[in-house]
Amino acid sequence: MVKILIVDDEEINRIMLREILSEAGYCNFIEAHNGQQAIETARQHKPDIVLLDVIMPGMSGIEAAPQIKASSPGCYMPILFITSLDDEQSLVKCLASGGDDFISKPFEKIILHAKVKAHERTRQLSLEIQEKNQSLTYFQLEVERNHRIVEHIFDNAIGRNPVTTDYFDFYTQPEAQFNGDLFLCEQSPSGGVYLFIGDFTGHGLASAIGAIPVAQLFTSMTLKGLAVGEMAARLNRLLVNLLPADMFCVASVLEIHANGKNFTLWSGGLPRLAVKTSEQEIRLLIDPQHMPLGILEEHEFDNQTQYFETEWGDTLLLYTDGLMESQHKELGMLGEAGVEKWFTRNSQVNAQLLVDKAELYRAGAAAEDDITIVLYKSRPFQFELPEPLAEPIPFNLSFHLTAQHIKDAQVIDQVVAIVNSIPGLAAIRSELFTVITELTNNAIEHGILGLSSDTKAEPEGFMEYYEQRRDRIAQLEKGDIWITVQRQMPDNVLEISMQDSGPGFDTAALKHCEDETFGRGFVLIRELCQSLHISDSGKQIKVIMPIEPVLDDADIPN
Amino acid sequence: MSIKAEVVNDSIFNIQIGERFDFSLVTEFRNVYEDLDPRVQQVDIDLSATQYMDSSALGMLLNMQKVLADRQLTYRILNTRPQIARILQISRFNKKFEIQ
Repeated sequence: MVKILIVDDEEINRIMLREILSEAGYCNFIEAHNGQQAIETARQHKPDIVLLDVIMPGMSGIEAAPQIKASSPGCYMPILFITSLDDEQSLVKCLASGGDDFISKPFEKIILHAKVKAHERTRQLSLEIQEKNQSLTYFQLEVERNHRIVEHIFDNAIGRNPVTTDYFDFYTQPEAQFNGDLFLCEQSPSGGVYLFIGDFTGHGLASAIGAIPVAQLFTSMTLKGLAVGEMAARLNRLLVNLLPADMFCVASVLEIHANGKNFTLWSGGLPRLAVKTSEQEIRLLIDPQHMPLGILEEHEFDNQTQYFETEWGDTLLLYTDGLMESQHKELGMLGEAGVEKWFTRNSQVNAQLLVDKAELYRAGAAAEDDITIVLYKSRPFQFELPEPLAEPIPFNLSFHLTAQHIKDAQVIDQVVAIVNSIPGLAAIRSELFTVITELTNNAIEHGILGLSSDTKAEPEGFMEYYEQRRDRIAQLEKGDIWITVQRQMPDNVLEISMQDSGPGFDTAALKHCEDETFGRGFVLIRELCQSLHISDSGKQIKVIMPIEPVLDDADIPN
Repeated sequence: MSIKAEVVNDSIFNIQIGERFDFSLVTEFRNVYEDLDPRVQQVDIDLSATQYMDSSALGMLLNMQKVLADRQLTYRILNTRPQIARILQISRFNKKFEIQ
């Protein structure tokens, strides 16, 4: 309801104004007799419209007007001067002091109604704007607060380890400006490094939000030392489930071996990777092979990786498309070739130099997309292996597999997955896979199924052997395998023992057949383990495996 | 996805193995070189994605050489990860395969 403040020292005027306005439907009036009272009443009652007499004893209307106006900051509150003056100077003074209109004495009903109505409309609009401004301010504060929270989470979620990043020269945009690019870098359990460089579709907070789960999953996978292709497949699965259909992540996952020369790459849509020699010649250009992460369903996804090698002193360049999409007014888009030209023409090239050159190229125009650049000079990684937080504790893990489990084609995978999930075993997961698979297959094929390796001697026999395996598994009704995996301290070795319910076999026969296409499994076990002990007519096999990785460069044939 | 194979440049037969190279691939691997293109002179086995391997994989590789023994083929194993290279080395595969 519109509230009208009537300020006049003469009661007759106040009564007349009320009467006239009541006829137009107004009914909420407050009154004051002079300027000072008007100011106090306005502050207290917040009127919508003020009718203000010009000449009053004490404080005049012209003196009071600025302070009455001030009682409604940020919102239009009309002051209509009541006056019988008609000289121009007085009218100008009224307007200059904050008045918005005049009501002439004697009062004319129709004009008064129309003027009050018109100012009421403006007041109403102004109130609506004020309300909207308030909610905008509220939302803005809310957004700022949310940004601060998310920024805090980002800092913690995407913390980069300086020991690792020291080996790289990189440029990323400040985290405070949320962007869709993500650069992650972690040590691998075998002493090398894993990198993730990603570019989510879109800009700002919405595109950055995917970075958190990606960073968390990536870090946990690097601790386990997963293969690059498997990492890509898991990240893809995460993003397919998480992102809306129109959002995806262009990305590369790269593993660098501890020697700094061997690389495994899964690349989905980033600009091609470039490697230059210390003579500034391009050694390799590797095109992306796959669609970005977060598009293909699990069964469509291709986890194929590319493998390449460099020489020490070579420089590797990875970047997101924000760099190559830099636009020049006449020369157009910079492109991959343009980036590579800058890369090879500067022997001292670094990430900041490329960013600066791109800015010059754009002639000061803002980049249209986020930019991330990573350079790596090929050299061995020398990480201090972290001191284990606590002395590893010994454990004893045992499995009992019956015929029902042995029939399951995935049984060995399950056993390996359980053993590999134990903290500290990531560094030897490939070796563990081989040893457990060999031992379990040996127990199943020779112990339980009674297959003879002699079958494998002929080309057709090899396939026949596996057909027999399939047939016998299908018919299997009884059979047990007991597996125990023990960590023994303080030697820090794994003892793996495998026992089966089969009839056993002639262990002497094993000795003379190792050079042929069978018995090869035992050769592997002997090499990967410290000791191999067969007892109980071949029904029980016990091996001891070191937990420290036994691998070094000398083992890799060239 | 566990095995992909194609003939490159008319004469190289390229076989790419997935993350696991174990006995579950016996039939699939055998089928890959069935009816091998007569123009093929070289077989490349790409193990860049392979992280796990067991002795039946070694058997499959040797068996392939036996089955194709009447063809004059050279065999190469490419892009092995260090752990896999070690298994091939233990088994002295460098005698029968060119390992890169």
